[in-house]
Amino acid sequence: MVRLVAGRLAQTLLVLAGVTVVTFFMMHYAPGQPLQNNPELRLDPTAVERWLALRGLDKPVPAQYAAWLGRLLCGDMGVSLVYNRPVPELLRERIPATLLLTVTAFVFSFGLAVFLGTKAAARPGSLLDTVINAVSLGGVSLPGFWLCMLAVMVFSHRLNLLPGAGMATPGSGGMADVAAHLVLPVSVLSLSGFAHYVRYVRVTVMEVMSQDYVRTARAKGLRKNAILRRHVLPNAALPLVTVAALSLPFLFTGAAMVEYVFAWPGMGRFIITSTLARDYPVIMAANLLVAVLVALANLAADLVYMLLDPRLRVEHRYAGRR
Amino acid sequence: MKKPVILLMVLALLLWTGCTSKGRTAKGPSLRVAALAAPVTFNPLFARDPASAEVALLFFEPLLTFHPETLEPEGRLLKSWEIGGGGREYTLHLRRDAFWSDGTPVTAEDVAFTVKVACHPDYAGWLYYYLKHIDGAADYREGDRSCLAEGEMGGLTVEDGFTLKVRLAEPFAPFLASLAFPPLPAHVWQEVPVAEMEGHIFSRQPAVFSGPYRLHERRPDAFVHARASETYYLGKPGIEDIYYTVIPNPETQLVELLAGRLDLLPHLNKPEDMPLLLENDKLAVYTTDRLAYDFIGFNLKKVASQLSDRRVRQALSMAVDRRELVEKLLLGMGKVAAGPLSPLQRAFDADFTGYGYDPEAARKLLAETGLRKVELKLIFNAGNLLRENVAVLFSQKAAAIGVSISVVPMEWEAFVETLYRGDFDLVLLGFGTGVDPDFSYHWHSGGPGNLLGYSNREVNRLLEEAGKTLTEQERMALYREAQKLLVEDAPGVWLYYRQAVYAATAALRNFRPHPDFLFYQVHQWEMRGRATW
Repeated sequence: MVRLVAGRLAQTLLVLAGVTVVTFFMMHYAPGQPLQNNPELRLDPTAVERWLALRGLDKPVPAQYAAWLGRLLCGDMGVSLVYNRPVPELLRERIPATLLLTVTAFVFSFGLAVFLGTKAAARPGSLLDTVINAVSLGGVSLPGFWLCMLAVMVFSHRLNLLPGAGMATPGSGGMADVAAHLVLPVSVLSLSGFAHYVRYVRVTVMEVMSQDYVRTARAKGLRKNAILRRHVLPNAALPLVTVAALSLPFLFTGAAMVEYVFAWPGMGRFIITSTLARDYPVIMAANLLVAVLVALANLAADLVYMLLDPRLRVEHRYAGRR
Repeated sequence: MKKPVILLMVLALLLWTGCTSKGRTAKGPSLRVAALAAPVTFNPLFARDPASAEVALLFFEPLLTFHPETLEPEGRLLKSWEIGGGGREYTLHLRRDAFWSDGTPVTAEDVAFTVKVACHPDYAGWLYYYLKHIDGAADYREGDRSCLAEGEMGGLTVEDGFTLKVRLAEPFAPFLASLAFPPLPAHVWQEVPVAEMEGHIFSRQPAVFSGPYRLHERRPDAFVHARASETYYLGKPGIEDIYYTVIPNPETQLVELLAGRLDLLPHLNKPEDMPLLLENDKLAVYTTDRLAYDFIGFNLKKVASQLSDRRVRQALSMAVDRRELVEKLLLGMGKVAAGPLSPLQRAFDADFTGYGYDPEAARKLLAETGLRKVELKLIFNAGNLLRENVAVLFSQKAAAIGVSISVVPMEWEAFVETLYRGDFDLVLLGFGTGVDPDFSYHWHSGGPGNLLGYSNREVNRLLEEAGKTLTEQERMALYREAQKLLVEDAPGVWLYYRQAVYAATAALRNFRPHPDFLFYQVHQWEMRGRATW
């Protein structure tokens, strides 16, 4: 077990190193530079060169990478080239807003998917099942941007029920105000999340329901709900945990499209604007954050698997001895 | 079991919504202004993005500004100025009643300090281009400097606390327009190395300011809350709170304006939205000409290009109906551009119409060149719907005269790099004219913004001579003459001057659209006819 975890950790570190190398070089070889180079700004070319040199951006890319890695290992993520502030500070300002949006949406969509997906799987072909299938197909295939715009159009414009922009009314704020601003973006995000998750849930539950032990449980006269709760869901939990765990990293990176349309001041928008502005330290930090979270989520999913399923533990033990 | 809980939560959320819209706590009248992006800095000298440049002027007062229609200079911190010494000496008199927010007067030292910052070798901002004509500026920039903006600069003499003499290296008539910058408080900044200024805390939180507003609160990527300054020398502004609200999506901005959750929407981009705004009696719509034109430039740096033949360029200039562009694509929200002189500028020549739409003549001219097949690549920045339409329309019109054009939209940074590298035949872009009609930056062969490689000695000479000409009339005539020669050479197809459109709540009074500054005379703005919370 320990060896297994250590092995996975080593593998994870290797992947992370690979991700940083690829991102760093791709980013630096992409056209553009961090100092706005719009000719209309009338900047002095020598001053621009000096600006870049002062920030070490005139050195060869491998040397820049080495410098970046060195600083990172000392816990220094660098200073944003646009905002001139330490990157962690900038991330800390935006992650809470993003989490508020994504976690709320995740709880809604995942909870609803488990609840309705199980129901649908219990009665395949029923009206509920058909409706859920249709909704999930729609949710998966409708373009997110269009859905966002539709929501703004209907609820903010036509009905004028809900604010369509921002996280709070400037100058007022308060819980209720934030909640009102949450409704539209969370709904749109939840719909696409739900569409995605409910298909997993339905298939997984249906598969478990076809197992012999479920038939046995039914044969011994257990009520349908009891079967679902005691026999089906625990067994279906495994793949669902994977799906949930793999969504976790993206809770931190936000939902760029939704944040853009609803003017949500979160990570998704920040990552996009930073990328467009070639703010290298921010791009690197955001990528690293995602990579670390993905790696951790995978690791966590594996470990949870082992806890939930004794069979895996045994298999790994044998594998370790071979 | 979960379902009712979720339903209840959604219901609760919806119920909350009902009570929110009136829960505001601000005291005085407030104004919510839409912005497409969040400002990066509040230090006007280091603003490189439009949002920063816009907001910084709430906190920092410029030396002078310009009348929105005539572009005549209007003193702000400057009470008056004299130009002498054959156009080389500018004597600037500052007002004595303007103070920094900490009570110290705004002095000539502050202005001199700011000029030195701009001319310091570590300064990578926009202002140096405008101040480089000052005697000694180039030496100051090249010399081995201390990291601070200190020491002497030949052309700067502080006569007394409120008088500054600026001597130019040579007479340069457009210089007055360069004085529209806001000075920084020297007593706050003088110990800060110039290289560290843009990252300094005071650039994010201007503790000492001179403008009509002070920074009250800032939420990253969400809004900037500015509150009326008690110490502003022109009197306390009529609007207590300004919320500069970031909404990156223009459609969402419009929806929020129509719903009454925004009060002022500058930079309205889609002419198609105009009817919606005009029919709404709760809104007022303002327009102004802009100091920028869109045009299709020809890459003249490229060797062995079919565009080296002037007739090809002239033919393309006649291929497109610019009036149609203005009517159909801009829906009338703009003016046909015949050359680089803006209709707002004093040098503007209303009689000069440039090339007319004449595909027949264009075809004939093209036939004269004997070129068999003309194939060209047109680049532009993707994401600008109007430019996308213009590019496509232009390629169709060119096809009609027998020129085939491939249209290549590019991501902004890639576009700029390609532009500098010169890997294109045609480029669709916008050029800012500035307040002064001098167009040397783009069209003098030595102009730093002459990306197309245009060069005509006579145009150079006229522009240089205009720079030294002190009589206004003569100077404007020289620009007109230069424009004529320039357009004859057809280094590009001038298309249109777009109008800037502002939509505001009808409650906003005294708002004047300005081609250069959003917050022009913001201290006079008022909100009337709307209940204050």
